[in-house]
Amino acid sequence: MIARSLKRFVALATPLTLALSLAACGENGSGSQVVVPAPLPSSTATATPTATATAVAYNSTRCFTQVIQGQNGANLKSIIIPDTLKLDLTRSTRFPNGRHPSDPVVDILLATLLLDMNVTGQGPNTLANVPLDPPSNDKFFLLTFPFLPTPNGSAQVASGTGSGFNFRTDPDSAYVSVDRMGNPAIATALVGSSKKNSFNDDTPASDDVGDKYYAEYISELNKLFGLIGDDVEGLGLKICSDKT
Amino acid sequence: MRGMIKTLLAGSAGAAALAALLLVPTGVATSADHLDPPGRTDGGVDANPDIPADIADVFAWHSNGTTKIAMTFAGPVSASATTPLYYDRDVLYKVNISTQAPASTPEFTIKYRFGKGAGEKDWGVRIEGIPGVTGVVEGPVETNLEKDGVKVRVGLFDEPFFFDLIGFRETRSTGTLRIRNDRNFFDGQNDTAIVLEIPDANLGAGVTNLGVWGQTARFGGNI
Repeated sequence: MIARSLKRFVALATPLTLALSLAACGENGSGSQVVVPAPLPSSTATATPTATATAVAYNSTRCFTQVIQGQNGANLKSIIIPDTLKLDLTRSTRFPNGRHPSDPVVDILLATLLLDMNVTGQGPNTLANVPLDPPSNDKFFLLTFPFLPTPNGSAQVASGTGSGFNFRTDPDSAYVSVDRMGNPAIATALVGSSKKNSFNDDTPASDDVGDKYYAEYISELNKLFGLIGDDVEGLGLKICSDKT
Repeated sequence: MRGMIKTLLAGSAGAAALAALLLVPTGVATSADHLDPPGRTDGGVDANPDIPADIADVFAWHSNGTTKIAMTFAGPVSASATTPLYYDRDVLYKVNISTQAPASTPEFTIKYRFGKGAGEKDWGVRIEGIPGVTGVVEGPVETNLEKDGVKVRVGLFDEPFFFDLIGFRETRSTGTLRIRNDRNFFDGQNDTAIVLEIPDANLGAGVTNLGVWGQTARFGGNI
């Protein structure tokens, strides 16, 4: 009831009142029903923004080498090179220690890419605690096998019956690579267009050779900071990138 | 500090900055791996995208003495009755697991292949290389299969990824913050998934650290 009332209130609120309502949210992100700062659509046309030239150059190397809290000394570089999803079975799962389907990986990844982890109060969960994006899936995950929710709508599903299926038996050499994935959003966020295919054709073993894609990751993250570094700082957050 | 951050994020300055946060290069934070690489799997880039071979997500988690691994693909797709099945006999799926150093090479490579049955919607899966399982596991999709303590299932599921892609795109195109944490682009959509549950013992004695990644490949070359 309270959440519904709050949500209705937020829908009518101005950014200023949103500031007050969000400040009252629980520290654990319990204000998940609150719409994240979405200013009401402007009645006047807004020009499409373009990246503006800046004299500031960013070097995001430190973002890859800083220790991430709660990850047993791991840093972003060790987590994404090689690009495998790493899971320590002795610790509870929450990305980047493995990945449970319910983990808010976009918010966690953005915080890990952008924020200085040496600042008190900043960590991999800073944005997820707001939260920036939807905090959970639209359907509950199952506690038992097969864990993922049933499909939506009236979609076709296979019969679940039959026998004598006609499988290929060709060797692996008869197949050509299409896609690979370890960590979420690394291929989409930190690999530039010109390297997309080659990255997906590679293997984690190749990632390790001379840290093959490390310079690419840094370069792409530098570009990201060039667009938004000052804005993130404008929030009162300290970024992990150095500026020259 | 968190409270301060929330306040800042909620204020108009924070809104503007968050808008900028979303004005990022194409592809940044738009998906976990859906439609990547775009030149092969994104219909907006490739006139003939390889939807069945497009990995959407890889998940790996551990609890109660078992490791769970899920790899989703061919999604997100509409929940409409006209959406086809995306089992493809010509695609080879691999789930790789490293249990020993170096973490970049797999001790186990689990291979999935799909095969058509006699009925219109009869599809089967053959899985080889499962840790601790002798031989192959084979049977219809949309069925829980179990052998030597390992559970496997392939089928259509709710798309498990959540993210306000609409807000991301609108913000990028208008410069006005549109992202919301109560709007999930992936709501109500589906994808196909491979799910495994593997007892710790099947991974080997003393194994405590895993590296997991997925791969797809198409018979005869990219389409």
